[in-house]
Amino acid sequence: MPLIRTERLTKSFGALTAVNEVTLEIEGGSLHSVIGPNGAGKTTFFNLLTGQFAPTSGRIIFDGRDIAGMPTHAVAHLGIARSFQRTSVFPALSLLDNVWLSAFARRPSWRGLAWRRADRYSELTARALRVLGEVGLREKAGQPAREISHGEQRQLELAIALAASPRLLLLDEPAAGLSPDETQKMVALVKTLKGRYTIVLIEHKIDVVMTMSDRISVMHFGSVIAEGTPAEIQRNAEVRRAYLGGIAAP
Amino acid sequence: MSPAWGEEAQPSNQSQSHSTVLNRPWLVILGAVVLLPVFVRHAIATEIWIFAIFGLGLNLLMGYTGLLSFGQATFFGSAAYVAGYLLKHHGVNVFVALLIGIVVGAVSAAVVGYLCVQRSGLYFIMLTFALNQMFYFTAYQWTSVTGGEDGMPGIPRPPMLGLDVRAPLAYYTVVAALFVLSLWVMKRVVESPLGKILQCIRENEPRAAALGYDAARMKLVAFVVGGAFSGLAGVLYAMLFGIVPLEAIGFVFSGNVVFATLIGGSGSLYGPVIGSFVFIWLSESVSAMWARWPLLLGLAFVIVVLFFRGGVVEAWARFWAWRATRGRRAPSAGADATH
Repeated sequence: MPLIRTERLTKSFGALTAVNEVTLEIEGGSLHSVIGPNGAGKTTFFNLLTGQFAPTSGRIIFDGRDIAGMPTHAVAHLGIARSFQRTSVFPALSLLDNVWLSAFARRPSWRGLAWRRADRYSELTARALRVLGEVGLREKAGQPAREISHGEQRQLELAIALAASPRLLLLDEPAAGLSPDETQKMVALVKTLKGRYTIVLIEHKIDVVMTMSDRISVMHFGSVIAEGTPAEIQRNAEVRRAYLGGIAAP
Repeated sequence: MSPAWGEEAQPSNQSQSHSTVLNRPWLVILGAVVLLPVFVRHAIATEIWIFAIFGLGLNLLMGYTGLLSFGQATFFGSAAYVAGYLLKHHGVNVFVALLIGIVVGAVSAAVVGYLCVQRSGLYFIMLTFALNQMFYFTAYQWTSVTGGEDGMPGIPRPPMLGLDVRAPLAYYTVVAALFVLSLWVMKRVVESPLGKILQCIRENEPRAAALGYDAARMKLVAFVVGGAFSGLAGVLYAMLFGIVPLEAIGFVFSGNVVFATLIGGSGSLYGPVIGSFVFIWLSESVSAMWARWPLLLGLAFVIVVLFFRGGVVEAWARFWAWRATRGRRAPSAGADATH
């Protein structure tokens, strides 16, 4: 049984249909990539999965439960975490606090919320530091997030998502705006996550997607025009048209 | 989105100070509590700590959550009227009156907050202001209870635990003790997970939601806690002057606490305390000598906004940082000169 599946998921903004009847299944433990030209509706698709937008129609079944239209914070409690395409961290807070807050949110009980000192949650602090170590930011844990480089902020972005111990991890172009060096590091990092998490990855760098993914869905003008293994996608004529400047709307 | 003040504010734990004084703020506070009545008139000294409690409540909203509430007098005044009425007409126990004030502050903040957190930015600010005006005009019209423009005079200051607190210094001691207690409670709140959650909502609300925090609900919690502090301050104020003036629920009063907190430094725990000291001292001492004292206040405000967004707290930290770098440079400059 897939961990999450969408059924004819649609989102319209006025006359524009950003996501058009997308039906998709993500197997637990797999790395499923979503590719497509700019404006294909990939990020909107993520925003639907995480509750930022309510879908116009269609269903989202996560772990046997329809979550379409649930508010964002409730979706997060189910174990769906995401990283953002445009870096979205807490600039004035330390890296440790950035990650710690993500870990705290997922606690089943919020006892001591307004009274227990935050630094007394030693198991959360330990987990936050471990996650920072995993992305290579352990030494900067005490620095405010606004003081680190763009590349490091991208790593922090990922660390915030990981600290939530997600059941489903949505990565929206984790390597956006990174130098070739930093991109390599990020790709290596995402590879270490493969198999440990169920991952949906939006990425533009086709070679990266081809080598890492278990399955690939291709979006174009809001619709999924192809789905399959990397090898199948590579042979698909329609995908080539979409990418090589064709105006082939389905 | 959060108003700009929140974004500029520094979390208190960040400015690890260079001075021994800043490392021991509790010593400074306790020293000030003991010394203030020696130098300042008792009533003014008492008012400073009352206003500081009021500021602590606002700062949780403005400094930590990034919500500029221009209606804090709603909670302050409501609590003062309700507790004042019960003290005056029903002779309730003073601790019951304080407790009722805290509850009235919290409940009125829950009602107002519930409506306000539905909107953000400018609309949020206008809602806090508009609802404040509603409470103000209710108090203005309801003369049979509130006394309208004349205020509600004749509020007694009953004995506490059998001790007479009518003497100014005795009442000062009570208020100062309650202030220290309030400061300690607020310190616990801002150092708790809630304090961090409010700050992350201030920094980036969509991200906070994506982590699993219901921003509206958390803002409401901040309102209620802040309202409880305002309520306590309101009752203490009524008992200090023996009257609830209509101004206690008016928008000028709401503005004053915002002013004072900004001057002291919003977003740091001790900012509103310093702000209250500056504000009340200026308004009560200088106003006696010079009728145009608000000019000074305006000047202080302009300086803060232009140069020290973090208020006196930031100015203080920057001064010590500057001294530290100068101290480090001076010996090396001397060494250069000998070569």
